[in-house]
Amino acid sequence: MIDIQALTFRYEGAEKDALSDVTLTVPDGAFLGIIGPAGAGKTTLLHCMSGIIPHAYRGDFYGAVLLDGMDTADTRLTDLSRTAGTVFQDVDSQIVSSVVEDELLYGLENFGVPREEIEERLSFALEKVGIASLRHRTVSSLSGGQRQKVAIASLVALRPKLLLLDEPTGELDPGSSRQIFSLLRTLNREWGMTVVVVEQKIMLLCEFAQRLAVLSEGRVVRDGSVREVLGDIEGLEEIGVNCPRVARFSSLLSAKTGRKLPVCVNVDEAEAMAREVTA
Amino acid sequence: MIRAESVSYSYSGGGQTVSDLTFHIQKGEFVALIGENGAGKTTTVKLIDGLLRPTSGRMLVNGMDTVKSKVSERARQVGFLFQNPDRQICKNTVRDEIAFGLRAVWGRGEAAKIDERVKELLDLFSFRGDEEPFSLSRGQRQQVALASTLAVKPAVLILDEPTTGLDYRECTKIMEFIRNLNETEGTTVVMVCHDMEVVLDYARRALVMAGGRLLADGPVREIFRDADLMARASLLPPQIIQLSGRLGGRYALADDAETLAELIAEGDRRGTV
Amino acid sequence: MTDLFQYTPGTSPLHRMNPITKIVLTLAVCAAAFLTDNLFVLLFLLLFDLMIGVVGRVERKAFSIFKGLFKVSLFLFVLQALFVRRGNRLFWIVTDEGLLTAAAVVLRLLVVCLPLALVLAVTQVSDIAGALVQVLHVPYAYAFTLTTAIRFIPQFMEEMSGIMEAQTARGVEFDSKNFLKKLGMLLPLCAPLLISSVRRTQATATAAEVRGFALRTSRSGYRQYRFGAVDFMGFLVSAALVAGAVLIP
Repeated sequence: MIDIQALTFRYEGAEKDALSDVTLTVPDGAFLGIIGPAGAGKTTLLHCMSGIIPHAYRGDFYGAVLLDGMDTADTRLTDLSRTAGTVFQDVDSQIVSSVVEDELLYGLENFGVPREEIEERLSFALEKVGIASLRHRTVSSLSGGQRQKVAIASLVALRPKLLLLDEPTGELDPGSSRQIFSLLRTLNREWGMTVVVVEQKIMLLCEFAQRLAVLSEGRVVRDGSVREVLGDIEGLEEIGVNCPRVARFSSLLSAKTGRKLPVCVNVDEAEAMAREVTA
Repeated sequence: MIRAESVSYSYSGGGQTVSDLTFHIQKGEFVALIGENGAGKTTTVKLIDGLLRPTSGRMLVNGMDTVKSKVSERARQVGFLFQNPDRQICKNTVRDEIAFGLRAVWGRGEAAKIDERVKELLDLFSFRGDEEPFSLSRGQRQQVALASTLAVKPAVLILDEPTTGLDYRECTKIMEFIRNLNETEGTTVVMVCHDMEVVLDYARRALVMAGGRLLADGPVREIFRDADLMARASLLPPQIIQLSGRLGGRYALADDAETLAELIAEGDRRGTV
Repeated sequence: MTDLFQYTPGTSPLHRMNPITKIVLTLAVCAAAFLTDNLFVLLFLLLFDLMIGVVGRVERKAFSIFKGLFKVSLFLFVLQALFVRRGNRLFWIVTDEGLLTAAAVVLRLLVVCLPLALVLAVTQVSDIAGALVQVLHVPYAYAFTLTTAIRFIPQFMEEMSGIMEAQTARGVEFDSKNFLKKLGMLLPLCAPLLISSVRRTQATATAAEVRGFALRTSRSGYRQYRFGAVDFMGFLVSAALVAGAVLIP
């Protein structure tokens, strides 16, 4: 779906590269989490995947990004966005309408979806995202989590192959955060949408994502399955990435018992492991 | 230090109301306010700071009714670190920013004293002083906001989701700083926080809110172990507490990874010998 | 205050009316107000405005806007009454003509401002924009600017009150009654407000672009803005208002 080859990007007027020599492949149907300390280049990488960079931001762009076979530098941003939908960090600035239904219509109208198809796509997206009851509500009357869902639904209606999200749970409480991630999982599993999400909450990524890419100072320093990446807890903490407590627990248990135990990514696994060791 | 006596509040235009809050926070405590969005946590801390006035009941801070005290007096007593530092920062340099709050509270006459305090804080947070706040990272801006909040040495520090938008390292730096302040200066800390791991690591007491009401009030660890309570507040306890709770028995009271792993490993060693 | 410019959902005849008709009606009320000097006609127009509020089921909003405008009007009234020197002196320096002129000015202000605010209460901004593009073939970029600007108002005000709250918490006294003093304190806060607004505008522009902003034409709109019986009524009323204002001396 995305093929990034030796990508280096420096914003106009910046003193150093935001991304340097990034090579990363995101296969079709993947659920990839991107994590890393502040200023590591996570948002920049996401914008490079969607083509917003180099089209909407100026700077020096080296290397290549292939989005579903299209070279992002040579393809119009509008054409790229038929394939990739982006949810921005600040959802409020992304929403252009005052009523939920209009927000979904906006993209459908622009992309010239045939009139007969519009209603079907609209209700499908509202249904999938679970906000059918909010259809006629004004955006300003919604909670943060609901607004986030509206932004996602407005993209789902466009049926992109790829969904890119920049810290979608930043301002949400734990309950709504989990709701957003289970929604992403549904879109990914049942609908085959490729999902790439920048997220600080490692516990959510461990539970929902299949793959993790760790960024540090503009470079991809880890890339693999969640389990592979979490295998090196000390390394991650040195980079400035937190680990779930259960992962720390399993690595401590390995060290203390001298057994070769696998890393745990959620409470269920840790419970099973503890029972096995104590049995 | 902080005493809420059946405090209720409702917004005139609709919005989260809180009803019948009664609690007492002693000097030097580290309290976390937890609950889902819309539970009334932010309203409660704004009531403590006097930014909102109770519709009924009384809120006393250091023995003074917040309704009767002056803005500058309240700012001297209570420091408020907002979730979004950009609403707080309004000056072009970090030095001016820190001095701004001091002038508002101490008055312009105290120039020498203000200069000295600004210098102290710049050293404490390792700022040069001439940085432009808006060219700093979010984590650094949060530190600028914290520095100017602490400048007047408030007896109570309120934190409204202080770790939002920060990465793990920035979050740890800010929280360690606050813990140190709480332990050495005896500053009372009241924190609204969504990250239960942070609550477990730093707070000693938790007030649980749901639907504008106080659901429970007690030591953090006890609160987290009450699975039924946590479910009613739509909260998920920290991972290790969930794990030790499920394992039960001699493991039930372990609340950090180190202790729990040690307990289990001990059993394992005995078993294999 | 923040919801003053916001849409109130509903199904009243005014909600169903074509946005273009509503704009015509508003313009007709304004035109009538400026064409007449007759106080009774102005009073009638004011009554008409309030009636529109009732028909649109937004009477509470209409009343609160009226109340807000009333304070400004009172101030204007006194000013006008004191400055007009023509006519017969009634008491002190106030003349009969002065009072009449003042009343006319104030009534005109009320009559003109009310419907402008009420249109936004019964019409979604996106519908105004949509109809402008579809019916009057206004370029979409202009219509989009209009909708974005109006959408920014509540966000801007929310941000402003957030900033004031944060500054109050650090000891800045905004509850000061002195208007000039308050203004002096607010000005330095405009920097953060501007910065956050500019950031937000950039993000909005990019977000609109990746959802096909550039592809949009006057035929892209899904909703059709047709004219019906309500609109016919609306045009009749508009014509009657203007005619009345011109014909009644």
